[in-house]
Parts: sequence; structure tokens; C-alpha cells
Amino acid sequence: MNWKPNPLSILGLAMVSTPIIAQAKIYVSVEQAQKILFPNKQLTKVPLLITDDLQERMRAASSIRYPFQGERIWKAADGSWLIIDEVVGKHEMITYALGIAPNGSILGIEILEYVESYGYEVAEAHWRQQFTGKTVKDPIKLNQDIQNIGGATLSCKHLTDGVKRVLVLHDFALKEK
Amino acid sequence: MMMRCQALLGTFVEISTDQDDSQALDNAFAVVKQIQGLMCFHYPLSELSQINRWVHQVALKIHPWTTQVLRIAQEIHKQSDGLFNCGIGHRLVSAGLLPRHMNLSKYQLGGIEDIHFLDSEIISSPKPLCLDLGGIAKGFAVDKAVESLIADGIESGCVNAGGDLRVFGQSPRSIQIRNPIAPMELIDIGSLQNGAIATSGLYFTNRDQQSYIINPFAQDECEAHINFSGSYSILANECVYADALTKVLALSSMRDHPCLNHFSAQAIRIAI
Repeated sequence: MNWKPNPLSILGLAMVSTPIIAQAKIYVSVEQAQKILFPNKQLTKVPLLITDDLQERMRAASSIRYPFQGERIWKAADGSWLIIDEVVGKHEMITYALGIAPNGSILGIEILEYVESYGYEVAEAHWRQQFTGKTVKDPIKLNQDIQNIGGATLSCKHLTDGVKRVLVLHDFALKEK
Repeated sequence: MMMRCQALLGTFVEISTDQDDSQALDNAFAVVKQIQGLMCFHYPLSELSQINRWVHQVALKIHPWTTQVLRIAQEIHKQSDGLFNCGIGHRLVSAGLLPRHMNLSKYQLGGIEDIHFLDSEIISSPKPLCLDLGGIAKGFAVDKAVESLIADGIESGCVNAGGDLRVFGQSPRSIQIRNPIAPMELIDIGSLQNGAIATSGLYFTNRDQQSYIINPFAQDECEAHINFSGSYSILANECVYADALTKVLALSSMRDHPCLNHFSAQAIRIAI
């Protein structure tokens, strides 16, 4: 191990703390997530109009209040599914892809984007919009200074709630399709 | 340059590498997933849950990785004079921080020191145990993922399991840790090459929840949960030691605890 401490950190309390400003990490694109979760499989996009009844069932199962958007749903010929959803927490927004096998079991979860910042910024739709559809290759200032962030364990509970609602969607609307 | 992230071990596991090799990252994530399947307290069918259910009744043959974790846990238990002990699962169950798979209230439970190795991979215990590997397995998983990447020819990278991380390879990387007063702010602690850092802090704990840092010597429930402000970080060669030793540091509040020196670890305490 070779640790070169920040000279300030030796002084203990004099350490400088700087805000995470729009810490946006874009891990993989939709196409990459499809390849990771379903290598060598052809996927067909099947957008779905989510009825109020289904929204309510998904809300009850996950306690996520904002509605699920049904545009990012794909199906493979063997009856497996790929669904992209977003979860918004107090300080973060996570876009993830969920692969579901024909028998309803989870094939895998891949994180597409993790945007961490102040809560009020995340909640603003137009602020979020600037990241939508961007990929690792886009020249805007994403992933330019990769931060290796240590700290107390960050829970992925929000994401677990998201997965719950997507499984309800599968159970009620996709399974029989 | 490649960076991917999956939800594993109850947190977000991020792997970044300088080379683009999707297969190597798949393999590393698969290793973390396998460790989750072996050592997760939440799954009733994990190897850990089977150990907790049976080990005081029958000798069990366990996976070499679980063996490794238990041996390291015993070593740290010994060097810390008992301050690090994985046999505190029941405290976390009572506090609602872990699921209840069985009723343990009528038993006198043992600790990690009660695990006997009958063979290199066969264990037994004279007392019932409620082991929780939550304080060590994450670091172990980070190490195994790094080993997997190196075996696949990756020269440098970083594996970060929700704040416990290890960097490997020639290029030093700058490391920030969260400011415990304002976790959305970062403190630059310098650069790290071929090393690991893990942190214990309670700033992500919900207000209505008890602390997950448990004093293994506590006689009753109300004394068991240790609260502190600020955060405790450990730098070490391997993440398994960094992860486990944060508990020794948090419980002892001693940056010069002999146990840290024994494992060539360094401590950072951010006080509030």
C-alpha cells in the first residue's frame, strides 16, 4: 500500500470539504445494458401504456409514488424481458435495467446512471433532462474526473423498491404477453 | 476506460478498469455475487444461514472462501482482544436490522472464537452461533473481485462496494471520503496506490434505527449499540482488513490500537 496523504489531512480538522456537484456517473448505455443482460439475444421494444390500476398496484408493492414510465420495455423471443426504470431518492437518481427470465426470476440488474447531488436539483425535471440519453462517449463533462468515493456504506434500498415494482409489472402485465 | 455498477451486497458495487474488457468485469461481478450467496445473512439458504442453523449440532463442510473469511475474522478477533466479533448477529436481529430466521432467545450464544476447524474446510461449534459477516464480507468481496480482475489480465482499476474500496495497479488514484457532517460533500484524503480504504460512519443510518456498530462485550441490548458522530476510516493493503478494522477503531476510538499496527493499517478519524 502506498498512501500519500493530502497534506491538509494530517492537520486533522483543517481538511477541506467540497460539495459533490452534479456527480453524474454514466456507467453503460441502454444498448450496452442489453448486451450485458442478454448477450446474443434479439430484443423487440414493447412500450406499454400503464393503467391507473396497474400504477396503483406497483405503488402499493414498492411505496414509490411517482409513476412508472412504460416506454422502455423490451422482449426477447424466449419470453424474457428487459425493463428500464428510474428511482429517485433524497439525494440521488438511479437509472437501472432489470432482466427478467421467462419464469419471472431476476436475471440481473445493471446500473446505467447514478446521479448524486442535492435533493432539490435531482427533483427538478429539467435538471435531470440534461443527463437523459447521454452515453459515456458524449463530450459533456461526465465521468471526466472519476471520483473514488469512500465512506459509510450507501444502501441500495431505493433500488430494491424499484425492482419490486417492476416485478409487479411483470406479474400483472408482461408474463402472459 | 470502463466503469460498471451493479446492486450487490446491499449496496452499489462499482468496478472501473483502465482497459476495456467486458468479460473480466462480468467475471468480477460474478465473484461478488457468489460471495453474496455464500455469506448473506438475509438469505435463509446462504451458507452463513446454514452455519447459524446447524454448526452447534453437526460438523459442516464449507466453501474455501467462507473458511478464509472465518479464519481472518478469528485472527482479528484475537488481535483486537475480542473487540471485533462476528457473533453479534442476534443483536442486529433484535434491533430489526437483520431478518429473524429462527428464535434464538432461549440459547446462550457463542462467538467467532467458538468456531473449531476440524479440517481445513470442516467446522463445528460447541455453542449455537448467530454470526453476521456484515462487518467483513464486503471487504473480502472487494479483494476477491480485484483478484479476479488481475487474473483476467487487468492491470489497474478500482473496486468500490458502496464506500469500501480497493485500488490496484501502477497508477495512484485520488481518494475522497464523505464528510460525516454533510455526506454530500467530499474530503480529499490524498492518493492511494495498491491499497484499500473502508469507513464506518452512522450518517446514512435512519433516524429511527439503532446503530449497527455493536459492542460484543455488552451484557444487554441497550448497551450493545454504539453511537458516534464523525467517521472512522482504515487504510490497509487488503480491503477485508480495512473493513473489519474500522469496527476496532470505532469501538476503541484508538488510532494507535496495537491491532491496527499488527495488520499494517492506518487510521483516519474525522471528528465532528
